[in-house]
Amino acid sequence: MTAETLRAAAAQPTNLRYGKGLRKLITPVAIAIVLAALYVWVGTLQLDSIEQRSLNSAVIIQKAIEHLRLTVVATALVVVIAIPLGVVASRAKNRLITPFILGTANLGQAVPAIGLLVLCTFVMGVGFQTALVGLVAYAVLPVLRNTMVGVQQVDPALIEAARGMGMTKGQVLRRVELKLAVPAILAGLRTSLVLTVGMATMGAFVAAGGFGELIINGLKLQRMPVTIVGGVLTASIAFLVDWLGGLAEDLLKPRGM
Amino acid sequence: MFETDTGGAQIQLRALTKQFPGQAEPAVDSVDLDIPAGELVAFVGPSGCGKTTTMKMINRLVEPTSGEIRIGGEDVLALPPDELRRHIGYVIQQIGLFPHLTIGENVGLVPKLLGWDRPKAEARTEDLLALVNLEPGEYRDRYPRQLSGGQQQRVGVARALAADPPVMLMDEPFGATDPITREHLQNEFLKLQKDLRKTIIFVTHDFEEAIKLGDRIAVLRNQSHIAQYDTPANILANPADDYVASFIGADATLKRLALMTVDEVPTEGPPDPALPQVETGTSLREALDLMVANGTDRCSSPAGVLSYTALCASIGREEVAAGDR
Amino acid sequence: MSLSEYVASRWDTLSLAAAEHALVVAIAIGIATLAGVGIGLVTHRVPRASNASLAVSAGILTIPSLALLTLLIPITGLGWTSTLVALTAYALLPIIRNTVVGLRGVDRATVEAGRGMGMSRVRVLMKVQLPLAWPLILTGIRVSTQMLIGIAAIAAFVDGPGLGTQIFEGLSRLGSVNSLNATLAGTFGIVIVALLFDLFFSVVRHLTTPRGLRVRN
Ligand SMILES: Nc1ncnc2c1ncn2[C@@H]1O[C@H](COP(=O)(O)OP(=O)(O)OP(=O)(O)O)[C@@H](O)[C@H]1O
Ligand SMILES: [Mg+2]
Repeated sequence: MTAETLRAAAAQPTNLRYGKGLRKLITPVAIAIVLAALYVWVGTLQLDSIEQRSLNSAVIIQKAIEHLRLTVVATALVVVIAIPLGVVASRAKNRLITPFILGTANLGQAVPAIGLLVLCTFVMGVGFQTALVGLVAYAVLPVLRNTMVGVQQVDPALIEAARGMGMTKGQVLRRVELKLAVPAILAGLRTSLVLTVGMATMGAFVAAGGFGELIINGLKLQRMPVTIVGGVLTASIAFLVDWLGGLAEDLLKPRGM
Repeated sequence: MFETDTGGAQIQLRALTKQFPGQAEPAVDSVDLDIPAGELVAFVGPSGCGKTTTMKMINRLVEPTSGEIRIGGEDVLALPPDELRRHIGYVIQQIGLFPHLTIGENVGLVPKLLGWDRPKAEARTEDLLALVNLEPGEYRDRYPRQLSGGQQQRVGVARALAADPPVMLMDEPFGATDPITREHLQNEFLKLQKDLRKTIIFVTHDFEEAIKLGDRIAVLRNQSHIAQYDTPANILANPADDYVASFIGADATLKRLALMTVDEVPTEGPPDPALPQVETGTSLREALDLMVANGTDRCSSPAGVLSYTALCASIGREEVAAGDR
Repeated sequence: MSLSEYVASRWDTLSLAAAEHALVVAIAIGIATLAGVGIGLVTHRVPRASNASLAVSAGILTIPSLALLTLLIPITGLGWTSTLVALTAYALLPIIRNTVVGLRGVDRATVEAGRGMGMSRVRVLMKVQLPLAWPLILTGIRVSTQMLIGIAAIAAFVDGPGLGTQIFEGLSRLGSVNSLNATLAGTFGIVIVALLFDLFFSVVRHLTTPRGLRVRN
């Protein structure tokens, strides 16, 4: 996200919030409708024993928990790793590595997530931790990049004003630079959260569970309903997480910006 | 932190020099300057001559290469920089209000840094907002983006005054405002300074502004060499050289008239109700305007009749030539 | 067998897979560019319409690729068609967004000058705005391409073409002699394809940026 778009977003008058508030409800309502339709549709099917083994509430809840656990833990790790690194990378004396990070962040998109996951398997074997490492490695870059850019784009006049009134360097970082970078950091976090939810689907390839397992099993056993349920649930959870991310953005963004 | 009798503290610069790394010549070369406590000194000079650099060395946002700075007799270079800056007010052209903090929080920031307790800091914030003509109840909880440029500039001044610093550094503080707002801010600021008597360094590109606000003006050449350092009236009357004269511009006479009031000119006879009337405190320039507008060569003040000849004599001239306009 | 020996012994398979990978991405990007720039051109003056198209394409991008690819199977079957549809859909957002931003960003004065010279709206759009917005649009296409190259790897799971087949082969034969080699060949092959595309776009940008825009002050 460029400085301009950030500014433009920040400059939007607050009275747009109300209209936005209504629009915010569209996503959860749509998800609810889709899930209800899915439920009804599955109800009309004659499920054979194989399908029944996957399509029951116990399994689905377990897959949901696995999926969310992977996503949440990975995101927490990303926050802990990427934000401090982003701050370090943003400091003037480290500016030499800026283009390196930006370049890696852009090309990193081209490294296939599935390749990364499978390669992790060769090092660590299959399971939750493997999936976690792959997810974190993949999702760190958007947050790292946005933290770095967010801190670097803070108006130098504000930093001069802060220094001029006697804030120490640490105070300037905590009270001014990081606070003003919050919208950019949150935007990066939301991006990586959605990436993580999507990639957690692939956790099933390395036996880390999640909704991906329904998709894969359905395809393997040629039971399309199972695959479709898995696909719809995965998409729903991605939209839900993105929606929650949007809410968090609005909530955590410093007021006055 | 600094010794002060009035609201301000004396500033002394001795052989102050700044050489930025990788540059052939120093940006500021051996400046000597004494600023008496409680006075406002305006720095004027061409872009890049070192005004900002000189000023920033005083609060050590730029570390001097060599030389000495004393505030109230104390050696500034021996003090911890962050602590020093909390006792020097600093206003910049871009204002630099923090957009994520309310007006009240912006103003209360330095008191907080100094560890004042909350009630004291809040009371101070209210006083300051009132001082710069912003109704605290209305503005304290607003955010900077919800204020006009002129209002933001007032908050900038209030913020710099928050810890009651004896010294203020102001770098083109009104530079980004429109002429009408600027004049308004200048007038308010003059009134404020009359009471506060801070020691102020005020950088400006606008010579009129320097004349209006400055107790003294330092006209700077490249590398902050001082071309002339004197009161506005003296600089207008006796520019040290062509360089200084070029700053004053063609209408020096009118500027000088603007600095004097009708009360400073000897009058002839009692007030005459038939003539155009001026009040005490009216500037000579306004009096002259009135005469020209009415096609007379006199006007009447409460003290007596004021003639064109007397007006000219007051600045040592026989007439105010058309070229002075 | 070392990786280099593996690559040498499977050169035909690998190069074919790489070519297919590049081809499927290229076709998807081609379609998405036509569609995305078209949508941008039509909607950029109506904020509601452009916001709606941006919201929809952002929504598509939110759907995890494995989910979208499998949900397409009942409609478009396994293989190329599903892969192309999914990739094209994913590529839309960056292209539409940069087209809209680019066209809107063209200096008002420039547009008015064109109109003042008697050019029609459409002519101004095609002769003035589009060329000026082109560098930004191209950036959008480039971003989309990098993204698609990564996503296309997963398409192999629904019998799609490309180097992803190597990765899934490695996964399915985990522990056998060449499984690591296959995964490495697939993964690095994809990175190489990505680098080549990026190089290609650098050249294209240089060749297609209006001369006047290349001169920097
Ligand atoms: N951080 C820096 N590094 C290197 N050179 C600098 C730095 N800051 C200022 N200079 C140089 O020092 C000289 C004086 O700059 P300064 O900012 O003090 O000028 P100024 O009088 O304030 O100009 P203006 O009226 O345009 O604000 C200029 O030549 C400038 O290029
Ligand atoms: Mg300056």
